[in-house]
Amino acid sequence: MLVDFELIRRAQKGDGSAFNEIVLAYRKRILGTITRLIARPEDVEDVAQEVFLRLYFSLDQLRKEEVFEPWLYRLTVNAAYDYLRKQRRRQEFRMSDLSEQQVMLADAAAGGRVDHDEQYNKKIRESVDALLGAVSEADRILLMLKEVEGLSLKDLEKVYKVNENALKVRLFRARQRVLKAFGEAEKREGAGVKPA
Amino acid sequence: MYPMRGSDDEKLDALFRAFQSACANPDPGVNFMPGLWQRIEARQNFAFSLRRLSSAFVTAALALSIALGAYMSIPRSIPSAYYSQTYIEALADASSLDTPQNVSPVRLDLTDPRR
Repeated sequence: MLVDFELIRRAQKGDGSAFNEIVLAYRKRILGTITRLIARPEDVEDVAQEVFLRLYFSLDQLRKEEVFEPWLYRLTVNAAYDYLRKQRRRQEFRMSDLSEQQVMLADAAAGGRVDHDEQYNKKIRESVDALLGAVSEADRILLMLKEVEGLSLKDLEKVYKVNENALKVRLFRARQRVLKAFGEAEKREGAGVKPA
Repeated sequence: MYPMRGSDDEKLDALFRAFQSACANPDPGVNFMPGLWQRIEARQNFAFSLRRLSSAFVTAALALSIALGAYMSIPRSIPSAYYSQTYIEALADASSLDTPQNVSPVRLDLTDPRR
């Protein structure tokens, strides 16, 4: 735990500076998790603010110290899930929007020269984002938490409040779907077809 | 770089690892905290106005109920005798069986009109 439970108690009583300290302690971790969950750097701060906003208004419901972090994770997962659902609804609009933004960002970076590492990272992010399009938003988040964030099944059990076996089955199915999409993408690349 | 050899499972694991390094924890912008507090205050203001609106609505509903109750409890000016009569009594008052047209004998005119 990055903060003292006493600090949480103070924040629960309406102490704004205590809440500020909690946000300062967790914001980098939450921003990182959201970056990996939604793969859209331009919206990460917005989703992270939503997480802390939900935390502020539901902090008084917290009773036990040990559930704070899984609970914060759950708020993060829910905010990311809501964002991804909205995103899917306006996907076509956003796609054209994004490509324009990316061009602008690329142009702005070092006077039009795009750093090689950044381009590689961007390619990786786009590949994973495209692969995860093969599963639902909920499965995408579950898979990310397990495979990328490195949460154990025990941790996931606490976050989702679902038993381990159900999580295992869900993870297995989601991974199989992503693997299938991965195989197809490999075949397309092998045949020289540009992925959609 | 993630390896391009091995089974799909291995390649996918490597891709996830590469993705993790490609998405390092970003530094929050300078507007993160002010923006957060702005959103908190906006939500609080909205909740406060909603609470005020609902309490005004409750007060108005309560006042209306009291006014309606008071109105219903005021005795009406219609005579009470009108309501105390039964239907039969009212009918008997309106057309009594003792009136001459009901009790006088029937008269028949037996003369032939052709004569």
